[in-house]
Amino acid sequence: MSHNSKKLLYSVIGVLVVAGVVFGLYTYAGQEAFIRTTLSGLTLGSLFFLVAAGLTLIFGLMDVLNFAHGSMFMIGAYTGWQFYTNPTFIFGVLPLVLAFATTVMLIPVIKPRLVRLDLSEAWQKSLPKLAYIAALLVAVLALVKFDILGLAKTAMVAATTTSSNPLAELSPQEPLPRFLLRILLLMLSGAFVAVGLSKPGNRTEVSAPEPLKKRLILPVVLFVLTIIFTLVRESASEGVLLMNGNLRFALAIIAATLFGFLLGALIEITMIRPLYVRSFFIVLMTLGMSFVMRELVQVLWDPLAYQMVRPPLFAQPGRATTIAEWLMNGSSTISIAGVTFPTYRLFVILLGVVMFVFVTLLMNRSRLGMIIRAGVQDPQMVEALGINVKRVFTLVFALGVALASLGGIGAAPFLPVQPMMGDQYQMQGFITVVIGGMGSYVGAFVGAMILGMARAFGDYFALKLQLSPTIAEASTVIIMIIVLILRPQGLFGKKD
Amino acid sequence: MMETTDSNRNLLSVEKIDTYIGQFHILEGVSVDVAKGSITVLLGRNGAGKTTTLKTIMGLTPPRNGRVIFDGQEIQGKQAFKIANFGIGYVPENRAVFRALTVMENLKLAERKKGDLDRHADFIFELFPDLERLSKLKGNQLSGGQQQMLAVARALVPDNKLLLIDEPSEGLAPILIQQMMEAIRKLRETTTILLVEQNFIMASQLAERYVIIDDGKSVHRGLMSDLVQNQDLIHQYLGASIQAPISTSEAQ
Repeated sequence: MSHNSKKLLYSVIGVLVVAGVVFGLYTYAGQEAFIRTTLSGLTLGSLFFLVAAGLTLIFGLMDVLNFAHGSMFMIGAYTGWQFYTNPTFIFGVLPLVLAFATTVMLIPVIKPRLVRLDLSEAWQKSLPKLAYIAALLVAVLALVKFDILGLAKTAMVAATTTSSNPLAELSPQEPLPRFLLRILLLMLSGAFVAVGLSKPGNRTEVSAPEPLKKRLILPVVLFVLTIIFTLVRESASEGVLLMNGNLRFALAIIAATLFGFLLGALIEITMIRPLYVRSFFIVLMTLGMSFVMRELVQVLWDPLAYQMVRPPLFAQPGRATTIAEWLMNGSSTISIAGVTFPTYRLFVILLGVVMFVFVTLLMNRSRLGMIIRAGVQDPQMVEALGINVKRVFTLVFALGVALASLGGIGAAPFLPVQPMMGDQYQMQGFITVVIGGMGSYVGAFVGAMILGMARAFGDYFALKLQLSPTIAEASTVIIMIIVLILRPQGLFGKKD
Repeated sequence: MMETTDSNRNLLSVEKIDTYIGQFHILEGVSVDVAKGSITVLLGRNGAGKTTTLKTIMGLTPPRNGRVIFDGQEIQGKQAFKIANFGIGYVPENRAVFRALTVMENLKLAERKKGDLDRHADFIFELFPDLERLSKLKGNQLSGGQQQMLAVARALVPDNKLLLIDEPSEGLAPILIQQMMEAIRKLRETTTILLVEQNFIMASQLAERYVIIDDGKSVHRGLMSDLVQNQDLIHQYLGASIQAPISTSEAQ
């Protein structure tokens, strides 16, 4: 009982403090400045939430601190921006990746045969290594003189010209026969990788396989996609660019989120999974990975900052007075209680709220959410119930990266797209997670909104009282310190 | 010849397993046989390796050497979730129910196929009527005894052939121990059980067979009815603490 009344007391004090702060700010700043700053804060808070939600889920379930999360935010922004501005690069590279993946995914098909081979121990050890070396050589051969930088540069041209014809910047792809050769070689390379990963001759890996039909589904689907995307390399880019801008933006969001999801899954399976037993190395590994990603992006698109054009729904000059008017005219600003506010930022707020609802439903209504909530406490016991916890880890990591990636493309139309754009968000994401409590998505949402507000009002005060603008950044750290002193486990964290 | 007929009747045979946790050699050649349809109990002092034996069977602490044969298949070295899906239910010590999940969600999570819970709900709630009443409460709102019942109930949701139950009576009030014993007795009608139990009265009344584990080795095995007579053995391996309950049970 005393526990409950204590909880009630804290909640009442919390509500009173929040109400007091809100009232104080309102009377001090006046209605217009208050609403404007609040909306800016919510915009920032939404982005912080998209970054922090992934961080907190991943940390809560797997105790992994992902220091590459900010880079994944940045990658999401680049992917979406590329897709929206000039998808030549994406469609030029996609068939190659698909071809490689097709044969790698043959593992479930060939593994049951390969593990039954009679091989001496020495061969069992060296065969996978030989296969990997062969795969690497073939892959290098496949990509000889493949002008990947040229493909990437086409997007830079698109970003710097202001031609009215969107197709003017399209550059031709390689001739088909040559490209097909690359596809075939990459499939061969993937097949070598699959042989290596199947651990030929290792009989401890024998287990009853699923029916062949089921095992063939994924490789066949990938193969068909490879063929389709090889044939439409040029027309797909054209088609995307001729599309209605809003639809193209929606597709860009989906492309960035999906890419984030797949990238996250790939990273978890290949690099993080072997390190769970040495969790400190994961921190170093993800930190290193963030540098690699940043440098790769700089190689491809130079260390420049790009401005993504806002989609037409948010681009027309003029101020809408109602939401309906905005949706009809695509106005760039809207009047909210007499305050002029960019419509795109409203969209970002909406994105954050929608994703919060999505995560809430996922955690509370789905079996996956149930597994995650149980796994946070005791992953071993979850596994003992017959649930493949490793797969759940992969899924959650992928989901977290997808959310960060979504945040990146969400931010791209109003933040400069540049290699460092995610760093600040990663920092704020970590602070958010500390404030909200490790592992709590509700905490991540509340913490993100608090931080967003702190940043926005910090900027406001810095401007009004002529303080240093760094006061806004410092304020979030000060809030974190106060929370750590009063409630070390975070606002919504559970004591262990 | 005797050997083969024996292993045919055994649902589970643990053969000379060695398990290390870190650098510590916890199990040194433990062997346990569990006959189909029986209750076998692992006895021994605290820290003897009983819980590790269950965890090793389950694949949570895989053995370095030795074999674990379940239902005619070697399962050692496989991942825990695969072992569970062969039809083994695990009830860990310390009532490891999921605190953030409701009673219903705890049970739902244990489903391996859709509809597992629906098929077995009547049986489970007949065994533990409290759980139906408490189904909307979260794990952390349950009392110790209720959590223990939930932990056992969770293992009954899918169709398990074997249940590994670790210390079901630990920290329970006497009346709840009675209820738990009744429940386990009913369970043996349909499944096979390997039990770890410190409470010797409970163990002796439930199990037909015993294996004594001492300092990581399986040192003695046989029929429970023989062990009850053998005060020396009990004293040597299970310690003096068992003496008092035995005398009270004899007094009854």
